[in-house]
Order: sequence, then structure tokens, then C-alpha cells
Amino acid sequence: MDAGTLAMPRRALGPPSRDVAPAVSNTRIAMLVVIAGETMLFAGLVGMYLVFRLSRPWPPPDLPRLPLALTTVNTFVLLASAWPMTRALRATRRVAPRTVTRGVALTALLGALFLAVQGAEWVRLLHHGLTLGGSMYGATFYVLIGCHGAHVLIALGWVAVMAALLARRPLTPRRRAVLEMCGMYWYFVCALWVFLFPLVYLY
Amino acid sequence: MRRIAVLAVVLVLAAHSAWAQSCAMCGSSFGQNDPVTRAFSWSILFLMATPYTIVGLIGAYLYFSYRRSSRRRRATVPSLARPSAEERQGDLA
Repeated sequence: MDAGTLAMPRRALGPPSRDVAPAVSNTRIAMLVVIAGETMLFAGLVGMYLVFRLSRPWPPPDLPRLPLALTTVNTFVLLASAWPMTRALRATRRVAPRTVTRGVALTALLGALFLAVQGAEWVRLLHHGLTLGGSMYGATFYVLIGCHGAHVLIALGWVAVMAALLARRPLTPRRRAVLEMCGMYWYFVCALWVFLFPLVYLY
Repeated sequence: MRRIAVLAVVLVLAAHSAWAQSCAMCGSSFGQNDPVTRAFSWSILFLMATPYTIVGLIGAYLYFSYRRSSRRRRATVPSLARPSAEERQGDLA
């Protein structure tokens, strides 16, 4: 026993508490792994697109051009949908259930609008002769943008279910974690479009 | 061990003429400035960079999250002062 121990009386400290929340929750890590996998899927598709895009005249002269103005507006709609989701996620910390429900519902609404405009655009392109099997231009466009559309559809379904659940039931910690994952996925599909739109429509 | 290392170095140096080729198909099917070769090169470069970018970003996010969390924990210093008489009574109760 040394002198310091006698000089300073101290309270015995117990073992560190296990209730301390981890720096990054397991749900968040799981979602990051899913998003990493999805990103690799899109990386493969973009790799395929780059091969065709750079190896031949693009777009082919006899095929219709993609509607740039409408898609630009639609891009803003999708990006705007991230804002109510951010508000909803912030509101979960303040425990403001009405703001959470409203934010999630608005996100779903804007996402649905984005998909509806995309669908209308596709129908118009099909009428103009840009089909999946008709040319490599059409095939790469529909596969790449269609894959993103499918992801938006999945995310939209998730957001809509969350909006319906939050409107009826209280915001529990478990539901909050699910909403956080849902928000991460929604941000992912928005960020993906920020990359895909210039690549396919502008480049 | 040294012999194996020397042999490995000799073999690697002997193969220098094949360094410029990516694979047999890409190396022989198209010319050097062919657009298809260029397209494949960009595509391969993109696909090669993506996993590193993803892993790097996730790793950086986890690193900074844990560092910020440990800083916060260090900021909340447990009280080492001698407990007051009231606290001691409370513990006994």
C-alpha cells in the first residue's frame, strides 16, 4: 500500500455500466452493410453502362433523346423528399410524434410523385420506340434507371408502411430504430440518383 | 528462404513484357487506341475504385463515430470525492 492511497479517501467504483449506448448501433451497421452491397450492385451496372457508353457513338442518332427538363424537375422532387425525412428523424429525438408522422408521410408522397413521373416518362419513351430489346441504348437505360426505380419503389413501400404505423401507434424506441434505418435507405436512393442522373441524362 | 526470394524477383522481372496487358482478350482483340479498349479500361478502373471507396467511407464513419463517442465518455468524469454524510446514509438504507 502506498502513501497516496491513505492520503485520498475514495469511493469504490463498480464495474463500468453496460447500459451505455454503443457509438454506432447494430441496426445502423447492418444498414450500412446492406447499402454497401446495393452500391456494389449499382457499381456493376454503371461499369456495364460505361463500356457501352464509351465504346460507340452515344446516343445513337436514330433513337429518341431522353427528356431532360422533366427529369431535372423530377430530380428536385426526389431530393426535396429527403428534407421531410430529415425533419422526421430529428423530431424522433424531441419525441414529437405528429411531426414525425407528417414528415414520413410527405416523404412517401414526394417519392410516389417521383415514381409516377418516371413511369409516365417511360411510357412516352416506349411509344417513341426506345424499347428494352430494341437497342443497347434502350437496354442500358432501362436496366440502370429501372433498377434505381425498383429500389425507390421498395424504399417507398417501407416509408409508406412506417407512415401508416406511426399514424396509428406510438413512437417506441424500436420503431424509432426502424425509422432510422428507413431514413438511411431513403437517403441512399436519393444519393444514388444524384450520381445516376448526370451519368445517364447529362453525360 | 533467400533463394526463393531471389527466384521470385527474377521471375517477376522476366515477366515485364506482359505487365502492360490486362488479360489475353483485351490485350490482343483490340488496338491500343481502340474505343472499346478505352471503355473497358474506364469501366475496370471504376469497378476497382468502388469497393475501396465504400470500405474507406464506412471505415472513416465508424472511426470518427467511435472517437467522438469515446471523447464524450471521457468528458463525463465520475465523481471521486468522498461521499457526504447524507449520501452514505442513503447507501446504508
